[in-house]
Amino acid sequence: MEIKNYVDLSSMEIDALREIGNIGTGNAGTVLSQMIGEEVSITLPEVHIMGYNEAIEWIGGPEAVTAGVLAQLKGDINGIILTVQKLDFVNLALRAILGTEISSFSELNELQISALTEVGNIMGASFINAMSNLADMTVNLTAPAFAVDMQGAILAVPMAVYGGQSDYIMTIGGNFQCKEQKAPCRILLSPDIQSLNHLLRKLGVIDE
Amino acid sequence: MSERDKLLVVGIADMKLAQKGEKLITYALGSCIGICLYDGLLHNAAMVHIMLPLNKEASAREQVFKYADTGIREALRQLAMRGSDCRRVTAKIAGGAKMFDIPNGSIGNIGQRNIESVHQILRQERIALLKEDVGGNIARTLEFDSTNGEGVIRTYSGRPELRF
Repeated sequence: MEIKNYVDLSSMEIDALREIGNIGTGNAGTVLSQMIGEEVSITLPEVHIMGYNEAIEWIGGPEAVTAGVLAQLKGDINGIILTVQKLDFVNLALRAILGTEISSFSELNELQISALTEVGNIMGASFINAMSNLADMTVNLTAPAFAVDMQGAILAVPMAVYGGQSDYIMTIGGNFQCKEQKAPCRILLSPDIQSLNHLLRKLGVIDE
Repeated sequence: MSERDKLLVVGIADMKLAQKGEKLITYALGSCIGICLYDGLLHNAAMVHIMLPLNKEASAREQVFKYADTGIREALRQLAMRGSDCRRVTAKIAGGAKMFDIPNGSIGNIGQRNIESVHQILRQERIALLKEDVGGNIARTLEFDSTNGEGVIRTYSGRPELRF
């Protein structure tokens, strides 16, 4: 049966989406590890269906400043893929790629921004590739966009885009940690509801 | 914090009313808009945090405060229940930014559509818009003092605190 809202998902369907998150996050972690030359571990993949304000608390409060790299999915699946990079992660990536560091986000220069955008883009693309291979679907990504600001406003972007369909936000994804340094980075996929039905059908979890 | 300075937090798709001695705050407005409605005679204030322009475009209509049209109208109705005649109520708004610039993407103009919708609803309800700080590409935290009707906007981006 088709779902009409994220909260309609059965536990079996959520398990299937968690597996997507597992494979997508795993793939993204592998390319991240190659890019920064460090071992990357991945926490348990997460599927969350949250009210708006609950989601803001979950990500760590509205006003904390983070970098976000966002792209839209088009094709068999419509949605948003978002990489949320905290300052420690940003420095890990910048040290590995450019040999530079920042003490606050306001110091970011153009070169550093394009490096971080590319890191988020490559992670997002490998997540989406893993998912589309598994489900045998064609998904295209828009060019990535970068922002540094209060994370509440960044997370509100997928909320607003699908806000006409649901009072909830759905995220599939996980956290990355690097071995020596704690370097939190999160990758989130927010699909629209119709695409979710399509994806679950392709995975054979819901009936035609 | 003394009881006199009680701070009421307005979430996303949420509205709160405040009286003299109370302040309202909403955090990290990106493309969303914070609307402060104020009756200076009775010191009644309402703050709405809307996310989308119009309820009638949507299929999920449970949260009236998610939308500019139903959100503003419901806030005005609740202010009227506290004795605030619409003709005395004025507005200040903040938000409506474009957080990500995606070429050919549909997400970029939500902030702008929110601004236009809020303007239109305020005009239809004959509410004077006294001040606004909208658009751009920065997130804003909005605070409003129901004692004197003054707002404060804070951003991350090194811009000085704006009083309005």
